[in-house]
Amino acid sequence: MLRTSHRLLALPVILAVGALAACSSGDPAPQGEGSADAEVLRVGTEGTYSPFSFHDTDGELTGYDVEVVTAVADELGLEVEFSETTWDSIFAGLEAERYDVVANQVTINDERAAVYDFSEPYTVSTGVAVVAADDDTVTSLDDVAGLTAAQSATSNWSQVAKDAGATVEGVEGFTQAVTLLTQGRIDVTFNDDLAVLDYLKQSGDTSVKIAFETGETVEQAFALRKDSELTARIDEALATLRADGTLAEISEKWFGEDVSQ
Amino acid sequence: MTGDTWDLVASSIGPLLSGAIRGTIPLTLISFAIGLVLALVVALARLSRRRVVSGVARAYISVIRGTPLLVQLFIIFYALPSFGVVIDPFPSAVVAFSLNVGGYAAETIRAAILSVPKGQWEAAVTVGMDHTLTLRRVVLPQAVRVAVPPLSNTFISLVKDTSLASTIMVTELLRKAQEIAAPTYEFMTLYSLAAVVYWLICLVLSTGQSQLERRLDRFVAH
Repeated sequence: MLRTSHRLLALPVILAVGALAACSSGDPAPQGEGSADAEVLRVGTEGTYSPFSFHDTDGELTGYDVEVVTAVADELGLEVEFSETTWDSIFAGLEAERYDVVANQVTINDERAAVYDFSEPYTVSTGVAVVAADDDTVTSLDDVAGLTAAQSATSNWSQVAKDAGATVEGVEGFTQAVTLLTQGRIDVTFNDDLAVLDYLKQSGDTSVKIAFETGETVEQAFALRKDSELTARIDEALATLRADGTLAEISEKWFGEDVSQ
Repeated sequence: MTGDTWDLVASSIGPLLSGAIRGTIPLTLISFAIGLVLALVVALARLSRRRVVSGVARAYISVIRGTPLLVQLFIIFYALPSFGVVIDPFPSAVVAFSLNVGGYAAETIRAAILSVPKGQWEAAVTVGMDHTLTLRRVVLPQAVRVAVPPLSNTFISLVKDTSLASTIMVTELLRKAQEIAAPTYEFMTLYSLAAVVYWLICLVLSTGQSQLERRLDRFVAH
């Protein structure tokens, strides 16, 4: 009886030790400690947004934004360290100083510029509306009023949809929005034409189509905390990479054209 | 289902299992172990005659049970840094899940202790045992048997709740599924696969539960 009760009390301890042993080899890479490290550029990105930031078949993080920010870090002589998080938490992580730069096709707009620093843009794209392939009723922003759109809550496309008079449902990202579209649960979703073209190309999905372009050009840049000392240095690196053709080269690789200006 | 989809399933199983083994499973085991110790302490505090002690325990249980786990996770991961407390993703998840298990399991353990007949306490006192000894050698062993089914429930729920850690940069099973799905756009396939892996883990645990119950039957006064 005595031994038994000891064993009972020891059970959680054994469990804990066993679990610790099990994960000692599999701990995720430690994040930096709050402040900007001189040696490391700490980057926040989604890791699930192709072709900008995603995992290839070998499980390696890659994509246009990942390569651009890596080139910037190289230019600055820094190691690059990625933290992956969902889009809707990406700014929370920036503010909580879990990383110092967001590299994830962040569109420059006034609301964000009021709160964050932006680097010079490294992508210029246009917004498109995506609808079901058999839907011919939506041909311009005027047709969107009263429809249901799905967007990730904090994206600029969510604002575009709201401004057009749509009811906006929150989703994780573009791919979920497309699923809802093909299932007939929503009418429309807005996104970056580059992301949409990549989706149509990679997936071979013929159940959705681009209805129209929103007509506004949007610029994407790296977002940093207000008054970050890194912003000027990143701009300098971007200027160098633009001048020597590196940006154009990375862009050609992912999109077959230069979308960096 | 095309041949491509089957190829994707075959090539995804490895990464998904690695997500489970490196993320989901250690997260569950560590959090449950810490949570259980915490729960025992909180349960005993709840049963304490000292008003302050039982009051603190009551408040803790109330907060944990009265707020969503996802919100608790976000507070620990995103809000604490503004007070200068920056915890890495994995430990943040462990802290949140342990606190959560501590709150729920405390009530289970308290109920289990109270379920042991009063006569058992009295009998222990007559043979000269003090409170601590009675608790340790007479009451708890019997309470444990009563607590196993509801605690197993908590444990199995925890396995699935760890998927919430995918929202705070922990690469576990669900996040792995999303990573694989993103470039292929095969979300349906990957989510289904992830569901199967979760289910298998829980099947193993349910089997363990039955065996544990049988073993602990010896401690119950019949």
